[in-house]
Amino acid sequence: MSDPTAPSPSASAETTTAVAATSAVAAAAAPAVAPPKVVVPPKPTPAKPADKGPSRRFFLLSWFGSWFAVAWVAFSASMLAMVLGTVRFLFPNVLSEPPTSFRAGEATGYEENKVDDKFKEQGAWVIRAKDERNRDIIYALSTICTHLGCTPNWLESEKKFKCPCHGSGFKISGINFEGPAPRPLERYAIKKNDDGTLVIDKSRKFQKELGQWDDADSYILV
Amino acid sequence: MAIGDWIRNSQVWKSIFRHPAPRDRRNRIVVMLTNVFLHLHPVSVRKSGIALSYTWCMGGITFFLFLVETVTGVLLMFYYRPTLEHAYNDILSLRDVATLGILRELHRWGAHAMVISIWLHMYRVFLTGSYKPPREFNWGVGVILLVLTLLLSFTGYLLPWDQLAIWAITVGSNMARATPFMGYEGPGAKFLAIGGVELVHSGSDARFLLLGGRFVGETALLRFYVLHCVALPLAVALLIAVHFWRVRKDGGISGAL
Amino acid sequence: MDSHAHGLSSSVQNGLGGFYLVCALMNFGFAAYFHFQAKNRTQVAIWGAVGALFALMSVAYFGHFGWSLSHGIKDFVDRIMNPVSYFAISILALAAVLYFRRFFTNPIVAWSVLMITLFCSGFAMTDPNFTAIITKPDNVPIVILIFSVGYFTWLALRLAVINDDRIARGEPPMEKLEEDKVLTWPDLVYTELICMVVFTFALVVWAYFLKAPLEQPASSAKIPNPSKAPWYFLGLQEMLVYFDPWMAGVVLPTFIIIGLIALPYIDFNTKGNGYYCFNERKFAITTFLLGFIILWVVLIVLGTFLRGPNWNFFGLFEPWDPHKSLPLNNVNLSDYFWLYGFGKSVGSMHWLIRELPGILLVLGYLLLLPPILAKTILRDYFIKMGFIRFFLLVTLIQFMALLPIKMVLRWTINLKYIVFIPEAFFNI
Repeated sequence: MSDPTAPSPSASAETTTAVAATSAVAAAAAPAVAPPKVVVPPKPTPAKPADKGPSRRFFLLSWFGSWFAVAWVAFSASMLAMVLGTVRFLFPNVLSEPPTSFRAGEATGYEENKVDDKFKEQGAWVIRAKDERNRDIIYALSTICTHLGCTPNWLESEKKFKCPCHGSGFKISGINFEGPAPRPLERYAIKKNDDGTLVIDKSRKFQKELGQWDDADSYILV
Repeated sequence: MAIGDWIRNSQVWKSIFRHPAPRDRRNRIVVMLTNVFLHLHPVSVRKSGIALSYTWCMGGITFFLFLVETVTGVLLMFYYRPTLEHAYNDILSLRDVATLGILRELHRWGAHAMVISIWLHMYRVFLTGSYKPPREFNWGVGVILLVLTLLLSFTGYLLPWDQLAIWAITVGSNMARATPFMGYEGPGAKFLAIGGVELVHSGSDARFLLLGGRFVGETALLRFYVLHCVALPLAVALLIAVHFWRVRKDGGISGAL
Repeated sequence: MDSHAHGLSSSVQNGLGGFYLVCALMNFGFAAYFHFQAKNRTQVAIWGAVGALFALMSVAYFGHFGWSLSHGIKDFVDRIMNPVSYFAISILALAAVLYFRRFFTNPIVAWSVLMITLFCSGFAMTDPNFTAIITKPDNVPIVILIFSVGYFTWLALRLAVINDDRIARGEPPMEKLEEDKVLTWPDLVYTELICMVVFTFALVVWAYFLKAPLEQPASSAKIPNPSKAPWYFLGLQEMLVYFDPWMAGVVLPTFIIIGLIALPYIDFNTKGNGYYCFNERKFAITTFLLGFIILWVVLIVLGTFLRGPNWNFFGLFEPWDPHKSLPLNNVNLSDYFWLYGFGKSVGSMHWLIRELPGILLVLGYLLLLPPILAKTILRDYFIKMGFIRFFLLVTLIQFMALLPIKMVLRWTINLKYIVFIPEAFFNI
């Protein structure tokens, strides 16, 4: 770790060589390197033996500098492209995951305030209950706890979903009321087919805290 | 003794061991210099530096357990297939059908012991102040080895594909979902959107990268298998080489400076 | 006869008989040491008597007398145990060990502590709930961890006390006494070989007698309750009770790793390099022990023994009832400020205004506290360490302190979040 109070060598040495380009470099470097409070005393330019050097050195510097710059930029860019390409490679383009929508029986087959685990395997609880505006609705709650993605259990005696991982509790509406879960369970899109069966589409989610539970696709009226 | 002398004087023996047995001072020095494994050590060491009460031997035990894990792991790989169809049953047959059915136990308990011994090694190195100059860099290498050891244990935890495995990994990998800006439930991810299209969603975030899918399934099993059996052990082996090399270059087994 | 009345199976009784027999033999060995080596009559009598007591216990359990812990004691232990008392006792114990290290590192004191621990854990194992946890195959490493961390902490502190005394007298630390070098072959190579043989043997015995756990095949619908992370990550899982995943699972672990790597560059103290000591490195060692023992090992033990179904806290002997319900009505800082302070409902507020107090508090903690410390009580450190080192140190300690701070806030005022912006998943 360099001592921050020491005057920056580049700031004093390079500015004295008094070439436009190098001083521009030094000026760019100086504010970054030199600490704000340290005052570098203006040194008298020492008479250097190689006084005819600067222009020649500048020429070499710029010549090498430019080619090195091109080479390094090209090298870095191709390395970066390789890394990004590798990262992109790790994201699969085709997933062999099960279909995201399923049928959940007839809408008339649901009793109010009753939770059963019939579709828990598919990742949803289909529930008929009263919502905040006292409408009788059917909705599909995701079985993924909003804390860390465990699957909560429905405790019939206490009328709540309780997550075994960290103890988050949700009411039958899916709204969190205890434990570390930061937000309510999500709803999946639900619709009624012409033949009266319910279809749950897990690819579309509705989050209460974003006001999406007002969306007509997030529930069906009974 | 005649047979012993005959063996020791044969061309084969002499081609392997270039010098007599390490019974005298000269040959005890030569053996350390000519053997690729022994030359991890210097020829001589500080007497206080090798006292068990001083080193607790924990670094050496960690390395030894890494070797145990490598050997038993390679053997287990002969019978294990990382697919949803086979993984659990292969573990069952390793327990019930395979001869010498304790290999999985050796591997698992060895892994637990390695986690403990690497913690204790770090604890000892801290308490003797052995991370201080000139050993700062090697301490950093050790910290990365510690992280890799924990990752090795974590990836290995999934492979039996039982309830214990899948839920521990579900809980663990869901944390990646909350990575700032890189997980779709992480802070800031919502702001990474172009024209209303979210860039970071459940199919493009850090967790998806880790699992190769939206949940802990077959792709996750394969990824964890490859990480556990190839990628991480290679990284660990490489860093162990650096670690040992720097122990010697930075002044040998630590001692009072 | 009445062993069934106590609910102690004969295998548990035989196990305890063996356990107490080993304890008795350990004490007889300790007494023998005093008899033959130290020639201390009093100590021989004391440890002989303790050994006899353990031997008596051993006979009682082999004879299936069925002695077990009374319900009164169990209830008492369960009642006084909660996260607050557990942490308070741990921290006080660590502080006492460090402060009275001269007393605690005395071998006789340490041996007494060990024997009391063994005596109590033997009795604890008569409780079926405790036995169920401790005999889980995956929990064996935790028992090893507890005893080995305890032993090595004792060993290090003992050597540190001896070295501190030597340094105070102006002598070099013990590690400097044997500066002469020995040949690696045979001195080191053979030590390593013996270590390897002993460990191979221990590992094979462990593997032979204890089967690796294998539960039901993985199913995404049935979730075990409680669902625990692998034991070495239980400290992180415990942090999840107090912080959101992005903090507990990502930010804080990252800071642990960064902090560990940065440690040699922050610690500017050149003393204590390569030998055990305490007086020369009080701050460094105390901070590290707080982090490693309290915020890591103690959290793991908590997660293993005291967290049950639904991640509720259970006493050591309390049955794991999945329907145990604890009132968890936590309140956000914004509610405290606006609702209780000004009587305004936070429902309709813009999140920035609603969370302003929390945001200011966090920013003040992270940005204002370091300069204030540098100007005031830590001025000396700031001058000695320089700008970068000092701010790195203070920031790392601030992040380490976040966990205890949040714990205390949760326990005292039921605080859920200091900053609560669910719109952006940004909750602290």
